[in-house]
Amino acid sequence: MMRMVAALMAVVLVSGATAQQSGVEAHLGRGTQLMQDNLFEAAAGEFEQAVAASPKDPRAHYQFAVCLLALGRNDEARSQFEQVQKLAGDSPYLEYYLGRLDLLSNDYASAIKRLGSVADKSPFPDGDFHLGVAYVSSGDVADGIKWLERAAKQSPNDYRVHYRLGRAYSSAGRDQEAARELELYARLRDEHKNKEKDVRDCAGALQTQPLPAAREVCRRMFDPNDPEKLTLLGQLYGDAGAFDDALNPLKRAVQLDPKSFDAWHNLGVTYFRLQRYAEARQPLETAVQLRPEFYGSVVLLGATLYMLGDDAAALPVLEQAHRLNPSDAQTTQVLEQLRAKQQRK
Amino acid sequence: MAPFLNRREFLAGVAAMSMGGIAVAQDSGMATRGIKPQPRGKPSGLPFHARFTDVAAQAGLRAPIIYGPPDRMDYILESMGCGVAFLDYDNDGWLDIFLLSGTRREGPVEGATNRLYKNNRDGTFSDVTAKAGLVRQGWACGVTVGDFNNDGFDDIFISGWPQNILYRNNGDCTFTDVTEKAGLLHSGKRWGTGCTWVDYDRDGRLDLFVSNYLVFDFDKIPPAGKDPRCDYKGVPVNCGPRGLVPERPMLYHNNGDGTFTDVTARSGVGAVPAGFGLTAVAADLDTDGWQEIYVACDSTPSLLFHNRGDGTFAELGLQSGLAVNEDGSEQAGMGIAIGDFDLDGRLDALKTHFAEDTVALYRNTGHLGFDDVTMRSGLGVETRYVSWGDGIVDLDNDGLPDLFWVTGSVFPEVERKHPEFPHKSPRILFRNLGNGRFEELLDEAGPALAEPHASRGVAFGDFDNDGDLDILIMNMNEPPSLLRNDVSGGGHWLKVKLAGTRSNKSAIGSVVTVTYGEHRQVQAVMAASSYLSCGDRRLHFGLGKAETAEIEIAWPTGVRESFKAIPSNQLITVKEGAGIVARERFGA
Repeated sequence: MMRMVAALMAVVLVSGATAQQSGVEAHLGRGTQLMQDNLFEAAAGEFEQAVAASPKDPRAHYQFAVCLLALGRNDEARSQFEQVQKLAGDSPYLEYYLGRLDLLSNDYASAIKRLGSVADKSPFPDGDFHLGVAYVSSGDVADGIKWLERAAKQSPNDYRVHYRLGRAYSSAGRDQEAARELELYARLRDEHKNKEKDVRDCAGALQTQPLPAAREVCRRMFDPNDPEKLTLLGQLYGDAGAFDDALNPLKRAVQLDPKSFDAWHNLGVTYFRLQRYAEARQPLETAVQLRPEFYGSVVLLGATLYMLGDDAAALPVLEQAHRLNPSDAQTTQVLEQLRAKQQRK
Repeated sequence: MAPFLNRREFLAGVAAMSMGGIAVAQDSGMATRGIKPQPRGKPSGLPFHARFTDVAAQAGLRAPIIYGPPDRMDYILESMGCGVAFLDYDNDGWLDIFLLSGTRREGPVEGATNRLYKNNRDGTFSDVTAKAGLVRQGWACGVTVGDFNNDGFDDIFISGWPQNILYRNNGDCTFTDVTEKAGLLHSGKRWGTGCTWVDYDRDGRLDLFVSNYLVFDFDKIPPAGKDPRCDYKGVPVNCGPRGLVPERPMLYHNNGDGTFTDVTARSGVGAVPAGFGLTAVAADLDTDGWQEIYVACDSTPSLLFHNRGDGTFAELGLQSGLAVNEDGSEQAGMGIAIGDFDLDGRLDALKTHFAEDTVALYRNTGHLGFDDVTMRSGLGVETRYVSWGDGIVDLDNDGLPDLFWVTGSVFPEVERKHPEFPHKSPRILFRNLGNGRFEELLDEAGPALAEPHASRGVAFGDFDNDGDLDILIMNMNEPPSLLRNDVSGGGHWLKVKLAGTRSNKSAIGSVVTVTYGEHRQVQAVMAASSYLSCGDRRLHFGLGKAETAEIEIAWPTGVRESFKAIPSNQLITVKEGAGIVARERFGA
């Protein structure tokens, strides 16, 4: 998720030559939404159309490339990233992704060069992890350990990192450290599996049991110190229409992780669905700040402002929503009304 | 002009926009990553010189292998199937066939039995099961072949539920069930799966390793449809392995007098956390002369027992890299192949898994370290099917070991709702491109590969002694497949058969390194691999254009022997300490 958010931010950064054709915007908006829903094949189709509509727009190539990488279409992804490079020049984002592609194609020297060049300014939190893996794969276990240790500090709860670090220690004959890391890996992996089970159980209970009984099952997911788990819990309650129950976990989640787009967006949605529009405004504004290209947040913020009667504030937000998704007839209609109202003034 | 839309109506429209939905993974009971296949690259266009034809029917292998009901699998026991074996039980130099069998819960099925087929040396086989004393109906799972009493004849151990069986070869084409006499009869019901002969203490006698899957009882496990948690893609299916009680493996020491002692606890094998153990293979993976034991576990971390050389083992699955995939996630381990795909003189491993996941190809980097190179070797293009018996085998004699595995669903019910998860599915072949990468061949190796079956065990061997590797496959509730390989292209080959003297007579645990042209390939003499199966113990090396090869043998006793300038296209038999004692040119 962090990667995707950063990718979207990157779109803004590399968009020096922004071709503001509404078709491109629509394809990019829909593609982004589809990526968010893990519908990568469909997203790739949208981005491909964006590229076709505006071949000189680096944003389209970039989005397409990120999506292709997620689909494992590595050669095509590389070609799209190289296209971005031609159109917009070098950037840490491109170095990161091309470095990862080098790693996937066993070109460790190039991977190390690229990922190393952005090590201290890596746009993504897992840059150190991939650099560590590249070093270990190249046979330089000592440097690999150095970067994996950094990655472990940065992502202390990521079992993948601890697994790789444990294996690297083992390769270096540092058996005690290997045992310690692999023990930590096993614990985190178990926690991850338990979390998955809790989510399944809670979702199942919300689907099949009355709410009071489901609450008993879902209570296991309420970990006051785990923002990801709390966000998931809020989403599950929200998906089940239990918006009152969703509020507490989501409020706690945004306290713990104020940069979590998912938590802010879902908190905004929850207030909105409870028709508490005044309280929905700030979470949705934060969500839009974090992900200005995400249509779902933008249109809800516009609707919230509209429901609050703040038409002046609603107008530019709904215009942005319309750019992201021109096919939304209701937004179009409201926009026309607001514009007409403004003209009358 | 559009009609006026009031705030309430707009609200109703936008309210449909809700939370970022999360995909809640269903608990299918199997570990799978739910990944889609990577796109296939441009075909290399290189010719592939092996062509496979299923000759099972014309060879006389017509009896179906019964394993549970034909159209559904209510219990996990009915879904896992069994192994097959190539062996030479009468020492005539021609591979015979041993096929395991299951039964049905409702009661005995006429004709369902493990079957022994004698090779008639003309491309056909005769069913000699009754004559050999091997008629038996039950839930057989795994098979390992080796001469445990060093009398010169191969014996057969069968794992299964609820009991395992040891058949001693009497040397007169008959077998005797000596399970109880050997001390291998266990109390209660247990589901033995992977099994392999292994001389773990290098005393010249074959010991026995057995992995166990899970605690199973028809009366205590709900059938498909009775437990709402047992669901795959929205279809009620049989339960497990997750949610059922996992088991631990066992190790039996050969006392040399026809009996065995359970050394599971003493050896450290019993100290591992319980898991869903399936195929077990034994080979010296770190070239220290002592055989390791690697166990594919289904949805729990796979196990690597490092042989300490003092009669005990240390489980080093995670440390070695063989327990989980490169992301640190366990997979649904079914089958294991051992071979040297990158020709660096080290034994690598290929492990098969569930659908919507890749197989795992582990490259041996030395010192008992393995790298998961699955994605970077091009295997990510194939994730469609549940995968089982496998091999790292040079099928076209070009000198580069290829990858082969069979597939088949464990949930036949799912196909009706989701045709993309068929019950019967094709065989998978990846050609070795020689640069660390593989290319999937969909049509280039003959029609037998595309024929859909629900397959499980596989054995590789040259049943017609024509200098290539044929393939024997177990198909659920169908006759087996016998894929005759007809290789063209003129690639040379060499077969090496070993006979131990100080080592166990089967030479199980030996490692043979063959140098040919620019290549150096290592193979191990094993008593089990693939999925619960046992292949030809005569090691087959494709040599490509090389007309001669150098051979180095590391016997289990630690003795090393080497031979230079061995001409290709022949089977050589090497007797420990006595050199090459026989040379045979097939067809001559």
